[in-house]
Amino acid sequence: MACDKRDELIQALHEGVVEMDEDLVLETANKVLEEGCNVYDAIMNGLAAGMEEVGDLYDQQEYFVPELLMCADALYVGLNVLKPHIDPADLGGRAKGQVVIGTVQGDVHDIGKNIIKMMFEVAGFTVHDLGRDVPLEKFAEEQLRTDSEIVALSAMMTTTMMGMEKVVEMIKAKNPNVKIMLGGAPVTDDVTKLFGADGYAETAGNAVQEAVKMVSQLRKLQD
Amino acid sequence: MTPKERVNKFFNREAVDTMPLFSGMGMVTIQAIEEMGINFAEVHTSGELMAASAIKTAEMFGLDGVVVPYDMCTVPEALGRGVSLYADAEGILYPTVPSKWATLDEVDLPEDFSGIFDQGRMPVVDDAIKRCLEYEGGKYAVGGWVLGPFTMGGQLMELDVLLKGLRKDKERVTAFLEKMTDLVITVAQHYQELGVDFINIREMGSGTDLLSPRMWKTLIMPNLTRVFDSLKAPRVNHICGGTDLIVSMMNECGAEAISVDQKNTLTETREKIGDQVLLLGGFDPYGTLVQGEAADVEAVIKGNVDDGVDAVWPGCDIWPDVKKENMEAFVAAVRKYGKAPTAAVGRL
Repeated sequence: MACDKRDELIQALHEGVVEMDEDLVLETANKVLEEGCNVYDAIMNGLAAGMEEVGDLYDQQEYFVPELLMCADALYVGLNVLKPHIDPADLGGRAKGQVVIGTVQGDVHDIGKNIIKMMFEVAGFTVHDLGRDVPLEKFAEEQLRTDSEIVALSAMMTTTMMGMEKVVEMIKAKNPNVKIMLGGAPVTDDVTKLFGADGYAETAGNAVQEAVKMVSQLRKLQD
Repeated sequence: MTPKERVNKFFNREAVDTMPLFSGMGMVTIQAIEEMGINFAEVHTSGELMAASAIKTAEMFGLDGVVVPYDMCTVPEALGRGVSLYADAEGILYPTVPSKWATLDEVDLPEDFSGIFDQGRMPVVDDAIKRCLEYEGGKYAVGGWVLGPFTMGGQLMELDVLLKGLRKDKERVTAFLEKMTDLVITVAQHYQELGVDFINIREMGSGTDLLSPRMWKTLIMPNLTRVFDSLKAPRVNHICGGTDLIVSMMNECGAEAISVDQKNTLTETREKIGDQVLLLGGFDPYGTLVQGEAADVEAVIKGNVDDGVDAVWPGCDIWPDVKKENMEAFVAAVRKYGKAPTAAVGRL
């Protein structure tokens, strides 16, 4: 079905996320369905693209964490309306399978992890969220149980980050093909390599910031 | 001059023989813990072990002060939020709060907080402080610390709810933070009554990594000011993370000392706050004492001194698993570069 209002609605979703306007996002998401627009297009180029701009605003110190969280809430409002209506054909080769995600033991900070989780969901992954303060062996057990392709580990503190190395060892020993992504304020490319992981959410000092940046990385994964 | 005298004179901005070497955050090391034949998880539940490990660390490395407790869960635990001690975990993990309130509706606080000192591990902390104060007739300066109102709030209820509430539910969050301010004052005054040599208010979750300077001014500053107004000197205002944009406002809150971490541009801060306020900071304790090489420590410490601090403080708790040689290099460097007067404190 043609969607004459596509650009207008995409823009409104984008704006709704950036302006933390849950009402606008809800109204627009329903219009996307009424107008028969492509739901996946609306999610990725409206909601997720809006969140990317939010990340830029955070980098520029125009937005801070309270604003990021409210933008994420607005995104969730839209996602809850739109996600059940995604045409499986749109996901087609795009669905990337399953992700196990959690914050490592000793760390109860999960704001960044929750935003990453949301982004994985936006991108069509099935997410197994272990929560926070997760015993290290639980990651390996859950990966085996679900046969997930990706394990995403989060740590907000340098000190709990050290537990990530053990998780990487445990998982790689059982299944070397699993991709392990690290995220959180203290994680750097060097740490990722040192721990034998496969990738990390680019860091500039704050877990939420990296979480938002994951949007770009996830979108690239889909190409 | 004893370690305690050195710190006390320092806070009075009287001349000292050399820069005092102490902190308002945890300074316990694994070397002390191992020599005592215990594990890290054990120190949190015994006043005797808590005090002994702090003192052992000070003795081993030649520090001027000790600080207890080591974890940030004692007050939330006393208010019924529980504690995870990780007694069976491999390696070192700090206790965490397992059951924070999930919404503002769930918040259940007493009218006043005078009854919390016999709850949870609060008696353990009191015992540890008393033991530290009594050690060898008061050899070491003993620091007391309490989380700031906002950070305390984030230990009692889910941080994302609190952060969003700052915008979405401002009236109720403001009231909650005022209640947190009462709590912080009650605990800090209690530690002052026990006789600590200084009190450090750690509003560590309020840096500009999280909150805008505008929000800091309206929601953090008034509460911190009320805390410092209620306390006797000496008082320390500590915030880690981004502080360059708020350090002038921190200085207006009324503490004798400002404490910051490695993200702060110390030279600019010194210009902003002038020479009448003590500046404490601000090296990265994990990068410098755990990850780095001993040979590189001296340059880090010298850099802090050159940048204008009055005392070199770790920007956060020292992670207990420090390299012994790095810790020794830290102490040696402070002694080497701490002989000259600083902006706010002269030398004998």
